[in-house]
Amino acid sequence: MKKRILVVDDEEGLRLLYKEELEDEGWEVDLAASGEESLEKLEKDSIDLVLLDIKMPGMDGVEVLRRVKEKWKDLPVILCTAYPHYKHDFGTWASDAYITKSSDLTELKQTIKEILGKKQ
Amino acid sequence: MKAVVSMEYDIIEKVNEVAAAGGSLEDRLERAARLFAEEFHFDQCLFFLAGSGGALKLAAASSGLCTTGVLCYGKGEGLPAVAMEKGGLVEAQKEPGRAEWEGVPDPGLEGVSTALVYPLGGGGSFSGVVYLKARERTSLSPARKDLLKVASLQAALMIRNAVLLEDHRRAHAELLAMQEKLASSEKLLALGDMAATMAHEIRNPLLSLGGYAARLKRQLPSGSPGLVYIEKMSQEIGRIEKIMNGIIRFLNDNLAELKTDDLNCIVDEALDIFADEFSAHGIAVERRSVHAPLTVLADREQMKIAFDNIIANAIQSMEKGGALKVVTSRSGDFAVAEVSDTGGGIDPEHIGYIFNPFFTTKKHGTGLGLPIANSIITRHRGGIEVRNEGRGASFTIRLPYSGAASVSSDLLPAEAGRVV
Repeated sequence: MKKRILVVDDEEGLRLLYKEELEDEGWEVDLAASGEESLEKLEKDSIDLVLLDIKMPGMDGVEVLRRVKEKWKDLPVILCTAYPHYKHDFGTWASDAYITKSSDLTELKQTIKEILGKKQ
Repeated sequence: MKAVVSMEYDIIEKVNEVAAAGGSLEDRLERAARLFAEEFHFDQCLFFLAGSGGALKLAAASSGLCTTGVLCYGKGEGLPAVAMEKGGLVEAQKEPGRAEWEGVPDPGLEGVSTALVYPLGGGGSFSGVVYLKARERTSLSPARKDLLKVASLQAALMIRNAVLLEDHRRAHAELLAMQEKLASSEKLLALGDMAATMAHEIRNPLLSLGGYAARLKRQLPSGSPGLVYIEKMSQEIGRIEKIMNGIIRFLNDNLAELKTDDLNCIVDEALDIFADEFSAHGIAVERRSVHAPLTVLADREQMKIAFDNIIANAIQSMEKGGALKVVTSRSGDFAVAEVSDTGGGIDPEHIGYIFNPFFTTKKHGTGLGLPIANSIITRHRGGIEVRNEGRGASFTIRLPYSGAASVSSDLLPAEAGRVV
């Protein structure tokens, strides 16, 4: 069965880019435009991995990460952001990987493969 | 009688005129010296001013006698010391067959028969002495001596005013420089806020652009003329991305983890990263260090970024080969790293700007490498200096040696790097 990835980002352009690129790699992709929406989707659908933007209006990525890890302990979360200093934020330690946003998605795809591979 | 009195007080008026005139203190003292010699009928008048360590240095002299050999009296030497000790006028006559004056030798009195020394100032605090010399034996009447005291006091006031004025000018210049620095740091802060907002707003759409350009490139059939344009677009987007990353790093370089570290190791790790580039550009690396650990409190990742930028800058100046010398050592309370290249050095016109954000002389430089290095090092309470030396530029990085000084984790605002 295809693995399902939930992409959480407030930028529409980036959501679509991630969707197309990750679908090309053979994954199914679900999209959420906000932290609140992502939690709703996680309740309804079966998700294998979450790709989470940190800086979002409303509920930010750090808060989403906390709630996800409380409820779905084993669900892997990859944090994406432009700001390297979040690495030192206690709230982000629970994430499974930390990716600095880039237009080159090679590192991101590689990280997803590694995490999903380990899970099997 | 009236005429005599007015003639007596004439000198006071003349000294006043000299004191009130413009020009340097030396010029005015010289005019005063000529006036004193003339008015009191001595062959020469000299002014000695107190310098460091209690020494008296010749500040001005009227012509008349040779002054060689008496340019400076050490503390406690000669007749001037006697006058300062006494706090009043010393009048000495040459005793036949004796080399000493008032019990002390004074090399400045060769060929002189009468010497008069009066300390400048009062209340036990003297700024120097006025020294009158005559070849023939002569003496001043009590009234003339009083006049000399008044005129000397005027000269002392003139000197004191000049010193105060100089202090005032220096303080004023320092204040202006500080104000300028403050204004520019305020401007930098505002600029920083603006840049942070801009970087964030630009970055996300830019990532979309770059991502879609890459997708488009993959979908175009090979040989399509559009491929060249897409390739160019990707390159340019990559360039903007690099600049944005630099800005974000520059604005977010908080020191999260200050830990005890060894500057030798930090520098070695930074050098390791560039091993391939050194050999690609034919750069010989000379690494010297002390054997003992150079203990510093540092955020290792941040400090490595600082050295990465400094080394990358050196490599860029030696793309056609050269030699890089990296020396780490301890100097007093500081652990010091010196990074020297043979890349031709920095244009003296540019050297004052190389730590300013966005200043670059390179075609594809972001102008942020050295400012980032400077900001990181400053926040570690250290300093970075640059100078041209030998065939290239030499950067000296100083960090507080952590065994020697306590370092709080309070962050310091970034200051401009220093050029020496």
